[in-house]
Amino acid sequence: MIQTFRRLFLTILFLSVSTPNLLAADDAEEKSESPIDIMGTVADHDYFKFFGKKLYLPRIIYWADEEGNSRFDTFASTEKAIESGLFEDVDHALVATNGAIKVDFSITSHLIYFWFGLGAVALFTMFAGSRYKKGVGKEVEPKGALQNLFEVFFVFIRDEVARPNIDDKKADKYVPYLFTVFMAIAFMNTFGLLPWAATATADITVTAVLAFFTFVITQFSGTKDHWTHVFWFPGVPLGVKFLMIPVELIGLITKPFALAIRLFANMMSGKIMIIAILGLIFIFNDMYGSVAAYGVSVFSVSMTAILYILKLFVSLLQAYIFTLLSAVFIGMAAESHDHDEEHYHAEHAA
Amino acid sequence: MGLLAAGIGAGIVAIGAGIGIGMIGKAATESIARQPEASGDIRGAMILTAAFIEGVALFGAIICIILALQG
Repeated sequence: MIQTFRRLFLTILFLSVSTPNLLAADDAEEKSESPIDIMGTVADHDYFKFFGKKLYLPRIIYWADEEGNSRFDTFASTEKAIESGLFEDVDHALVATNGAIKVDFSITSHLIYFWFGLGAVALFTMFAGSRYKKGVGKEVEPKGALQNLFEVFFVFIRDEVARPNIDDKKADKYVPYLFTVFMAIAFMNTFGLLPWAATATADITVTAVLAFFTFVITQFSGTKDHWTHVFWFPGVPLGVKFLMIPVELIGLITKPFALAIRLFANMMSGKIMIIAILGLIFIFNDMYGSVAAYGVSVFSVSMTAILYILKLFVSLLQAYIFTLLSAVFIGMAAESHDHDEEHYHAEHAA
Repeated sequence: MGLLAAGIGAGIVAIGAGIGIGMIGKAATESIARQPEASGDIRGAMILTAAFIEGVALFGAIICIILALQG
């Protein structure tokens, strides 16, 4: 324990000595325009990048004009929308010249990669499905790398995720959802590692939608026991029962909320980390000249390579964690158990 | 000021999550050493608990990012 504190103290001492440099760097950055735009790279865009070329995506906007009439307009790109005179660009965001935007249905780069992820899952499962219909994998062994890969993932989700966490009789009903969500997140995460690609899961809206699916399925599979626990907590005094209702209701919401935030923050922090470490090269170039930048690039590039391997692992791990927690939440709601107290007494009497 | 708060906050978040996940790792490796045949179950429980702690830490991290963007 003392050693831990000593180490902690030494670390703080070391950091406090080395902070002046960091502060100096901060000042220099403020003077010149920052050479890299971290958040701009992570954010959603109105274009789809392909081999360094930007393909602008259509804008679909539901808005109200100055007379209050609701209008539904589509434009080929953001530029076209501004040319039409109905919208203008304020701080890189589209704003209606007269009136207000109600809902922006525009197709963005994150949405495109969301579709790519779902499309990849659909193709993968339809391919495997057609094989199983022919009897390959049922009567004879599965053939080819793809079908074997499918079986590996599917059996993993069924045996390691669904069955241990959800009631045995009901578990298989949820395997399709869990498998889909696992594969979709895994595809979206790994697509984000490709050059020019965007990570769809590094967007809170995408992860919130996925978490919302889990929330809906959890509530619809809730048994009587689940709702009893929410509205009339068993085994506690009457006053506490009323006290538990808001706590349990908040508990219902925080679970999917945490799911969404976890996946989003993991994917986003990985991206920011890589951009920041690569950005060191440009920052050093601005501050100390090109020789220092060459020196840092050796460190930065090797670090990025290691981080990429870590990100590949994290993207699969996060898909697994999302699926596992979904299964745990569904399992908790779908569980129909004997009453806790009776169970407890029975176990202790035995 | 927002940047300062974000930096300090991110550091505290990292310390908290580090201690938490470190303790899980310690407990898990100790129990695997005692009972190697249960390592599969222990690993599953370890990942699950670590994910929960990570979630809490990331809540803090998100707040720090928001602060840094506003500051």
